[in-house]
Parts: sequence; structure tokens; C-alpha cells
Amino acid sequence: MNKKSRTRLLIATGVIVVVFVIGVVFLVQKQGAYYRQVSDLTTGQYDGKNVKVGGKVLDGTINRDASGVHFTIQDLTGKPETVKVTYSGQMPNTFNSGVDVVVIGKYASTGGVISADQLQTKCPSKYKGQASSAPTPSAAQ
Amino acid sequence: MITLGRIALTLALVFSMASVLFLALGMRWDRKDLLRNGYYAVYAFFLTTVVASAVLLQAFLKKDFSFSYVAENSDASLSTFYRIAGFWAGQQGSFLLWLLLIAVVAVVIALVNLNKVERLTGGAVMVMCVIGAVFAALMVLDKGSKPFLAAEPGTQPFGLNPLLLHPAMVLHPPALFIGYVGLSVPFAFGISTLLLGRGDKLWVTLSQKWAVAGWLFLSLGVGLGAWWAYVVLSFGGYWGWDPVESTSLVPWLTATALLHAFTLYKSRGLFRHWALGLAAATFWFTILATWTTRTGLIQSVHAFEKNPLLVWILSGLLVVTAAATSGLMAWRWRRFQSHDQVESIVSRDFLYYLTNLLLTLFAVAVAFTTVAVPLLMNKTVGPSTFNAIAQPLGVVMLALIAICPLLAWRKTEGAELRKTLILPLVTAVLLVPLWLYLGFQSNVWGFIGLLVCGFAVGAVIQFVLRSARRAAGPGKSLWSGLGRAFTGSRTRTAAYVVHFGMILVVAGLIGSNVYKHEETALVKVKAGQTASIAGYTLTYKGMTGNTGPQSSTRSFATFAVTRGGTQIGTLAPHTDAYPASGAAVRAVIIGRPFEDLFVVADDPFDSTSKSIALRMIIFPLVRWVWLGSILLCVGAVVSLWPKARRQEQEARAAVPAADADGRLDGASA
Repeated sequence: MNKKSRTRLLIATGVIVVVFVIGVVFLVQKQGAYYRQVSDLTTGQYDGKNVKVGGKVLDGTINRDASGVHFTIQDLTGKPETVKVTYSGQMPNTFNSGVDVVVIGKYASTGGVISADQLQTKCPSKYKGQASSAPTPSAAQ
Repeated sequence: MITLGRIALTLALVFSMASVLFLALGMRWDRKDLLRNGYYAVYAFFLTTVVASAVLLQAFLKKDFSFSYVAENSDASLSTFYRIAGFWAGQQGSFLLWLLLIAVVAVVIALVNLNKVERLTGGAVMVMCVIGAVFAALMVLDKGSKPFLAAEPGTQPFGLNPLLLHPAMVLHPPALFIGYVGLSVPFAFGISTLLLGRGDKLWVTLSQKWAVAGWLFLSLGVGLGAWWAYVVLSFGGYWGWDPVESTSLVPWLTATALLHAFTLYKSRGLFRHWALGLAAATFWFTILATWTTRTGLIQSVHAFEKNPLLVWILSGLLVVTAAATSGLMAWRWRRFQSHDQVESIVSRDFLYYLTNLLLTLFAVAVAFTTVAVPLLMNKTVGPSTFNAIAQPLGVVMLALIAICPLLAWRKTEGAELRKTLILPLVTAVLLVPLWLYLGFQSNVWGFIGLLVCGFAVGAVIQFVLRSARRAAGPGKSLWSGLGRAFTGSRTRTAAYVVHFGMILVVAGLIGSNVYKHEETALVKVKAGQTASIAGYTLTYKGMTGNTGPQSSTRSFATFAVTRGGTQIGTLAPHTDAYPASGAAVRAVIIGRPFEDLFVVADDPFDSTSKSIALRMIIFPLVRWVWLGSILLCVGAVVSLWPKARRQEQEARAAVPAADADGRLDGASA
């Protein structure tokens, strides 16, 4: 039993754990998106914040141009609020008018647009209850 | 038949509980007859589970759609292969498969030990039966988990989700479940040894092979899942830090740490609390993975849960496991005090310690951000956050892989250390031209990571050469020892292979993440139209169609691919349009040794489309991830392979017991 090396080991462990925990908490605080409903966004307190929002893609709102895809989603809790979404990444396979999607990105209250960097879809009907999204092997399990 | 399945399942629940009772009493009073009766109950538990599984399997094979579960996960058009896969395509069958595997493992342990009945094994079988009883209870009580329900009259078979029609996806769930069950064995023995207060290493000896096998299948499962995501899901990657993926990685991380802790536990009596804690954590995280996947609390768009009983039972299992393990560990803490101490920071012991610490922190961080952040903080984080945690940590751990085998146990002298560093440094430098040729100087962090990879390759070579020199003995040529460096010790050979595989995986991860390059192009549907990315040119040739799986209409857009003027192949990204469930785009890939060209349409297209939104992605070194993953599995198989007696004697003769590495060999014998 060597007391000195034991103390050193404990100190090294403590430093690593503390640095690591601070780093993770900092990242989550900085990059984490609030999980909210479309109707929550209009309160204005989420301007410029990262949000994760579920909504139904409205018919006839899907447009594609050089900057990506634009569409409008409606609140899932039955409220009338809608929000515009801009997205330029890979489209999930089941994306279409009328499907429920989850978008994650920065919300700007001027213009009411979410610049999404993630877009996920929920399967419409056939595979009941199994969420499927572009980056989701969840349907598998 | 449905009734037979239901009866068998109920009996499995009864017998698993009976064996728990017998084994618990036998353990408490140290009565061999009770333990033996417990084992007999385990046989009955096993047989009833086999009957239940056979009933479900025959229903799939015979296309018996009167089973609601069969109708939901199969249809008449599927081949036998995919009809079998229907067994584990949904929640109910997955639980049944899991139960079957638990029963198989419990019965194997019981059979092996029937003649030398003793309490430690009895306790382990008891814990396996407790887990089995929980799963059996789930399938008996919870409506959403019952595999044996009659379909409503007139139900049309749903068929298999088309995304699952791929061999990798057929094998991925069973591989994961075998991994999970294999890794619950160390937990079972850990609890048993804690209950008995046995601080010796017998529990490690008895569960180590199970842990390695579990690790092997878990690696295989995670790898197959990633490969499937890459080739089938077509989202332009193989890992999206989706909660389901992330939570299957977490037990892999703690299991990796567990294998390292076991090695030192057996050889030196170090890391005894770590080994117990990691065995429990690995099991706990496998249940957490199931909890995440099955309750849908994390992923659901809606915050409310439809299936409270499932949530209660799985959450209960998590709480009880955590409470029981920490309680028992606190009670027996002193009996598992290490005999030995980590003496110096510059020693292999310390780096083992650091590896375990970082793997555990990594696992906890991933679990925390995946599960606790959405649930407790009502926030969610994306892949960029996980990458920010994983990338630096990955490179640090790679450096540990590199340096660890070069250091001596206990303490390393400075001069000795400097000498062993030469070869790894040279290798790191020798690989620089390759990285420059591939244009990797564009990102400094990625480049540093790849330098570390080069260093680590040199370290593995150094490790092999040193063992060879030692095996050859003084005065003989290095070559004469080279063969024995590989045949001498299974554990050590496995370590070379696994570490080399891990280096390839990390290099592949760096290449395909940091240097991923993406272009999009809107290509008019007209022969001769082109799109290009990084020296590749895709020329549109035409559109063809045929019938895909499940009476879908498959439309191919064919492109000729040229690079530097020469044609290197054709690619036909396609769209599958399903009559019932919309259309799915499918990616195609041209694989080259140093990069993949991945092409997918952004939107579904068919013969009426005027243009195709094409997404082209270059994934450098992505093949190395698959190759490395295969090596991880090969390494695990090497360490599991039973030794021929002659070889074992040779190995003993070749490596003197006093040898520094001999301690490690002792662990594998």
C-alpha cells in the first residue's frame, strides 16, 4: 500500500471526472434543444433558441429550391398554430404531405421559421406505432 | 396452438419462479438437494420456453395468420428466411427470443454444474431465472407484449416492414440479444458472489468466457445495425446517435471496460470493485436499452405512454437491479478490497485504470444525454453534441490502446519507455504520406487523430515483436519466435487482433465523419445529363423499372460513373413505391479501398419525374470501419477458441511463468 500514489490516483480521477462532467453539462446546455409544441413558439421566448418540435406537414406547402426544402407544419395538440420549416439535409424516406414530423433546429420569431438541421418522420399508418425517421433504425427493434 | 403457446409461457413463468425459490433456499441453507431441485426446475423452465418458441416459429413457417403476432409481422409472399425473421421483428417475439436465450444460458450453466453442485453457480442460475421470470411475466401480463393472441377474424397480414428486408437486419436483433444475455452472466455471478461474500476470483473464472462471447455478439449486433443503416436506411451515414443506437452502444462500452477489469482481477487481484460494478452496470444498461426502445418514452412525439404496465415492469427491474447491486456492494465492500495497488502513473496498471474510467464516463455520458436529458430537462441534443463528446474521447482512448501494451506492469523506467516509443513514432510518420495523398490535411483535428492511429499501429507491431523476441529466447532469431508470439497466448493474440481492429474502426470513423464530403444536384431526366463530385462524374443513362419486394414498383435511374475519364461502374439509385405505405428512396454505393461514393435521390421519383434531386456523398475510409469490426469479432473468437491440450502445454513451456506478460497468460489459462 503506497499512500502517495493512492492520493495521486484519486486526484487524477477527480480531475478527469470533474472536467468531463462540466464538459458534458456545458455541451447539453449550449446545444440542447427545448422539446416544445408548435403553439409554444408563438410566446416569443424561444426566439433564437434551439427547439425540437413535432407537427403535421400541411398539404401543398412543400417547396424545393436551391437552398433546400420548405414546408409548414401544424401543431399536433389540435391547436391552429403553424410554423414554417427550412431544411437542406437528406430527406427521410417517408416524408410527404400529411405525415407527422419532428424537426430540430433554431427558431427565428421574425418570419416564424425553424431552420432545421434534423428532420424525422413518424410512419403514417401501416407499421403502427413504430417510429421511423431518416437516422433511425428504431423500426428494427 | 395459440393456447399451447400461452400455456407453455405461463408454465415457463411458474418454473422460473420455482427455480428461483429452490435455488435461493438451497443457497441460504447450503443444501445440495435443494440446489439440485432448483436445477431440475431450470430444465422445466427451459423446455417450456422451447415449446413456446417452437409454437411461434411453426406459426411463422406455416403462415398461420390466426396468430395476431404472425399476421402483424409476416405475409404469404415472404421467403422462409424472412418468415423466420418475423419471429423477432416485433416486441412480443423479441421478448420471447430473449427469454429463450436466458433459458438456454441458465440450463447450460445448470447442466455443466449438476454434478459439482455448489452455491456460487446456484446463485448465478437463480439471478438468470429472476431475469427470465421478469420477461415471462411481461409476456403473460402485458397486453402489448403477449406473443400468443388470436388475430381478429378477417385480419390481413401486414407483412414485414420493407426496411427490415435485409440480411443484416435479420441477424442484428438476435446478435444484440445474444450479446445482452451473455453479458448478464457476469452480473448473475457477481450478485451470487456478493450474496455469498466470496471475494475470490472464481466468479470471474466462471463468467469470463460468457462475457467475451456476449461482447462478441454485441459488437456484431452494433456493427450489423450500423451497416444496415448505411446500406438500407439511405440517410447518408451509418450512425445517427438515435436513442436506439446510442443505448445499444452504452453496454458495449461498459462491457469493454469489464473485459479489461476481469483480466486484472484474475491476474493481479486489482479492479475488484470495478469488475463487480461494471458487470452490474453492463446488465443495467442492456435493460435501459430495452426500456428506451420499448416504452417509447424518449422518442415519442407524444409525451404520453400508452402502455403503463410495460413501463412499470421494466422501470421496476432497473430500480431493483440498481438498489440490490449497490446495497450488496456496500455490504461486502471490504471483502473485495484489492490485494494490490496501482503503483505508478507510468505503468500499464494505471492505463488500464484510465481506460476503464474513460469508457465508463463515456457510457454514462451517452446514457445521460440520451435518456436523462429528454426526460428530466425536457431538452434534446443532436448528433453534433454526441460527436463533440465522442471524438476527443475516442482519440484519447486510441492513444491509451497504443501506449498501454508498451508499458510494463507496475512501473516503467524512462529509458525503457523511450526505446519502445521509436517504432510507433516511425509508423506514425510513415503513414503521413498516405494521409496527405488522401487530402486529410484539410482538418487539423482529424489529422491529429490519424497520426495517433498510425502511432497505435506501430505500437501493436511493437507488441507483437516484443512477444516474438521473448518467445524466441536469447540468441535466436526473431522469426523463430514470431509464430509462437501468436500461438503462445490466446488472450494476447486476441488483444493484438482486437486492438488492430479498433484502430481501423477509429481511423474509419475519423475518415468518414471528419472528411465526409457532400454535393447535391438537380439532374434533368434526359440521357447525357451529368452531376459531379470530387473527381467523379455521373452521367444519366435512363430509367428502368421492375417489381420490388412486397409488390412494390421499383424505379431505377441509371448513371454511368467515371473518374478521371475512365468508367469505374454504373450506379442505379432507386425508389420503391409500396401500394400501401408510400415510397422509399434507396441508396447505392461504389466502394473503393480509400473511399465510398454514396448516391441517393433526395425525393422519391418514378417514370413521370422531370428531374431527380441527387445527393452524392464521399465517405473516406468507411470500409475500414467494417473491416475493423470484423477484426474485433475475429479477436473475440480467437480468445474463446478452446485450446488443444498439446498447444496448451507448448504455450506453458514457451512462456515462463515469471515473464511479465505471463501474468496475463495466466489469466487466460
